[in-house]
Amino acid sequence: MSKKQKHKNNDQNYLNVMLETAFAEVGSALEMLAACKRSEKSTFAFGYFQHAKDEYNHADTFLSILGDYAKDLPSNISRDFRYSSSALMKKGYVSNDGFLIETMKLKDFIAYVYTNELLAKNSFEKILKLVKKDTKAGLKISQIMKDELRHHGMAEEHFLKYYPKLQPWQLMFYRLRETLMNKGRKFYDKNLRFLDKVLTPLYYSLAFCAGKILQLIDLNEFDRKGKDLMNIKIKSIL
Amino acid sequence: MFLGITGYNHESSAALVDNDGNLIDYCKEEYLSRIKGDKSFPKRSLKKIIDNNNLDISSIKSIAFYERPLSAFLFPLKTAASHLPESLAFMSHQLRNFNKSSINCFSDVADLLPGLENKLIYLDHHLSHTLTALPYSDKKNNLCSVVVDGFGDRNTTSISYINNPLEIKEIWDCKYPFSLGLYYSTITDFLGFQVNEGEYKVMGLSAFGREKSDLAIKTSNLIRFDKDKKSLIQDMSFFKYHLSPTISFSNELIELLGEPRNPFKKLLETDKDFQKYADIAKGAQIATEKILCDIFSYAHQLTGSNNFLFSGGVALNSASLRKIANLNFVDKLIVPPSPGDAGSSIGSAYYAYLKESKTSNQTFTIPSLFPCKSINDDQLSLTNKILSVHCEKLTNSIDESIRKVSELISNGEVIGIVINNAETGPRALGNRSLICDGKNTDSVKILNTVIKNRSPFRPTAPFMKMDVAKIYYELQEELIESYYSMGATCLTKDNTGSRDFPTTHIDGTARIQILKDNYFYEKLFLELETHDVSILANSSLNLSGDPTCYDFIDGLMVCARNPLKYLLTDHGLIKYNKK
Repeated sequence: MSKKQKHKNNDQNYLNVMLETAFAEVGSALEMLAACKRSEKSTFAFGYFQHAKDEYNHADTFLSILGDYAKDLPSNISRDFRYSSSALMKKGYVSNDGFLIETMKLKDFIAYVYTNELLAKNSFEKILKLVKKDTKAGLKISQIMKDELRHHGMAEEHFLKYYPKLQPWQLMFYRLRETLMNKGRKFYDKNLRFLDKVLTPLYYSLAFCAGKILQLIDLNEFDRKGKDLMNIKIKSIL
Repeated sequence: MFLGITGYNHESSAALVDNDGNLIDYCKEEYLSRIKGDKSFPKRSLKKIIDNNNLDISSIKSIAFYERPLSAFLFPLKTAASHLPESLAFMSHQLRNFNKSSINCFSDVADLLPGLENKLIYLDHHLSHTLTALPYSDKKNNLCSVVVDGFGDRNTTSISYINNPLEIKEIWDCKYPFSLGLYYSTITDFLGFQVNEGEYKVMGLSAFGREKSDLAIKTSNLIRFDKDKKSLIQDMSFFKYHLSPTISFSNELIELLGEPRNPFKKLLETDKDFQKYADIAKGAQIATEKILCDIFSYAHQLTGSNNFLFSGGVALNSASLRKIANLNFVDKLIVPPSPGDAGSSIGSAYYAYLKESKTSNQTFTIPSLFPCKSINDDQLSLTNKILSVHCEKLTNSIDESIRKVSELISNGEVIGIVINNAETGPRALGNRSLICDGKNTDSVKILNTVIKNRSPFRPTAPFMKMDVAKIYYELQEELIESYYSMGATCLTKDNTGSRDFPTTHIDGTARIQILKDNYFYEKLFLELETHDVSILANSSLNLSGDPTCYDFIDGLMVCARNPLKYLLTDHGLIKYNKK
């Protein structure tokens, strides 16, 4: 691999980490905002509101680090790392089925927050190595890590306060389960990318065959010119 | 009751029309999911509308979807198939995303509201646009509808003649991939802005461009309407949106216009590249205005009509409406408040209603500009703790709030507003807005750049009463309805000082909003007169990249995340303290 190519790969890796983390933070902010709006008590709503605000601010920080880095790169590289909130669902940061508070039991939701804040903090340690601790970006990320630990502590406190019958070891169990699931997700994602590369020739072959068939299909008979649009069959999907 | 829904391609939404043909509720999915441009199946909006209006499946007579799904899936594939093997990546992408396309609509409706899928009906995409515009016109017969968008379910531009609401004949269309909407989006992409989000930035930037510059001429020459062949001519070698799932322009366009803009570089007037990109934007705007005028001339030639409906995403290009309205045969130009896909659920719901009512002599009332029912009251008790920790309540009654808000505005403050129902369209018309004194340069600058973090080249809209608008602006009678929904720009009047208002764009135009049907603002403007404030600057209440606020908690979140201090709500005026 040439030095130039290696440099390009490093740039892309850096931008990708920042962008994906920003997506994760916005996803998290949206989950907290949704939880705030569905809370049963105003004290819960307050906690989720503060948490959402922090997550939004974290996302802004990562986007600003991304922007600072990308602005000096050629546009053919940087343009692929534009943030667009419409990609949140496509990338799986927000589920198509609904927000977690809508699909989980409250107890599981709080345990999920407790675990994920810690996992987030761990992943930020890796990002910190990438940006270097004593840089401007590094200092910002260190602050975010403190926030994540605070959120983790608050979720733990909340969990034990409202579910006193559950013991701290049970929280440990939640944490272990979520850690394993997280590793599983990463493994699945990595393999999916690998499979995608392997299967691309097959996809292309199928697309080529489909294209050849489509070339034979005449869609002109569905032309609307001169037709009354109000009189076309209401159940027709073509 | 009749439902209309949109989704899967652009912003999704749902609308409800009652048995008398009145629009009684509407909701964009992004309001509830808080994901800007959310295009997923509008399940939250549907649920909200059904809950708000106490509907059950039996009370819904039909639900209309805004396009014919198989057409929308097949037509781009068919076009790509004629460019094999260059289009393999595009074809593979489309086929693999089959299950995410609108073909899934039937099963999504069935999953969410079992039983309703049997009442699902479909209409042509451009018909949904036409029927979105029709209710906003007081005339319902002998109209010409022009629809221009990126791509519908078969065409990209169409002209239809409306004999009556039950007889709408398509008389001309332009087939994909030739598309004025996608041409504009490609230039948007080239200029580093997000497609489907940044088109209005290109429009704002174009005012700084030079009409006779080499880049403007090159850009505008990429597309034209051939008056002899009566078709849109576009050199597709410069475009790749029909061949690639990731990039909309080709290397030929880069050779023609130079390096595309880096999206992360701030676009400031002082930068050396600013003029270059402004010239390109100017070229795109010139081409758009010229082609639209040609299409409208052809539409008049075909139909003989002087009254037009204009819809589709390109109708959001407010700067071009002025030019169309100047055509000597145009008596009336009606653009709905939400002419893009997000508004098409309204047209779809009307289609469901019309198919059932079968009455050609329709007199349905013009829909409200604020049909999206609010849920602010439900959140009052929920926000007790947030309010007690962060906020100071300044007023309780509406009259008290109006007095205090007027005072603050006259002192240069910016006020966030979340009151009553939400707007239909993408433009905040006052109920989900940030407002300040429209003649106070410092206040407008704070609103625009400090609070909203908008690009400095995009002006904020001025908002006023009709009598004030007549003093400062050259109003066009043909566009009066569009001024109510901030849909069109107009020129400032000479010797009135309006050229120097901070809400006036560099080219001497302003995207004005004239007050209509809003009791709160009628009272507010009356009170503001005592402080010598007659024009407000009005921008949507959100932060850059987020959807416009929908409820009380969203409004509080904007305060929490930026320097905005004052928020007027249905529960009074509050001051947000950032502890």
